[in-house]
Amino acid sequence: MSKTERDMLSDTALDEIFTAARAQRPEPSGALMARILVDADDVLAGRDRPAAAMARPSPWARFVDGLGGWGSLAGLVTATAAGVWLGFVSPDRVNTLSGGLLLSDSTGVYALEDILPADDGLAAFYEEGGQ
Amino acid sequence: MKMAFDAHSEVSDEALLVAFGNGDREAARALTARLAPRAMGFAARMLGGDRHEAEDVTQEAMLRLWRIAPEWRQGEAKVSTWLYRVTVNLCTDRLRRRRGVGLDTIPEPEDDRPGVAASMMQAARARALDEALAALPERQRVAVVLRHIEGRTNPEIAQVLEISVEAVESLTARGKRALAASLGQRREELGYVED
Repeated sequence: MSKTERDMLSDTALDEIFTAARAQRPEPSGALMARILVDADDVLAGRDRPAAAMARPSPWARFVDGLGGWGSLAGLVTATAAGVWLGFVSPDRVNTLSGGLLLSDSTGVYALEDILPADDGLAAFYEEGGQ
Repeated sequence: MKMAFDAHSEVSDEALLVAFGNGDREAARALTARLAPRAMGFAARMLGGDRHEAEDVTQEAMLRLWRIAPEWRQGEAKVSTWLYRVTVNLCTDRLRRRRGVGLDTIPEPEDDRPGVAASMMQAARARALDEALAALPERQRVAVVLRHIEGRTNPEIAQVLEISVEAVESLTARGKRALAASLGQRREELGYVED
């Protein structure tokens, strides 16, 4: 439903009403101002306690969280340390560790079937030079 | 560094907020004196003139300001703009909670007190405006109140509502037109008689 210009209040009249509204703006009571300042004091006084609970996490804490927490980090550290250690030790030490399962003798080299014992066909293929 | 209350008159809102974040209690007094009346006036218009609810909203908005102070990012937004935005959100929450409540809840003016006809008419116009504003869609109401009663600029209103300046202009124009139509039906009651 459209309004005709005659139905509408004029811009001048509307501006008068806005002006009256500005002049009658509700002011905050003294009690409200006091409550607001009490809140401010409480925030200042209580800063230490909430700050400890709500502190922005340190970069290290965010790094740990990103990895899935301390549990995941422990697993990651263990696996990394084991990998580094295995990279530096000699094969016979690995053989010792594996209880002799990986190497048939102390001077032997890895053969594919040592790692994939079920794949004899592929091992034979490599032994033939891949031809 | 602590500053005397009187010395805060030339200090920006942002500087005061940072000072409060650093523990300056006097800065809170200065900010409250500056910003609480704005939040209160705006909230009252948004909430149909309900003074009690407007005070609650103002207190909550200011509390959020105190809490954000230590993390305030300087230069990103005006403190007053931030406060208006928080106040809009708090008012919107309250309006949604009481959705369906009619205009009967708008407080009656104190019309039994002695007064001249002019002040009665002013009060009647203010009440009519509150009622007409209450009938506007919320975003139109925010735009009209901020522009025409709070005297904010369109770019600032755009930041409050997180929309473009053009969208603010459109909201304001439609809001004013709806008000003119609504109040036009009460022109005689409001003292705007035909020539």
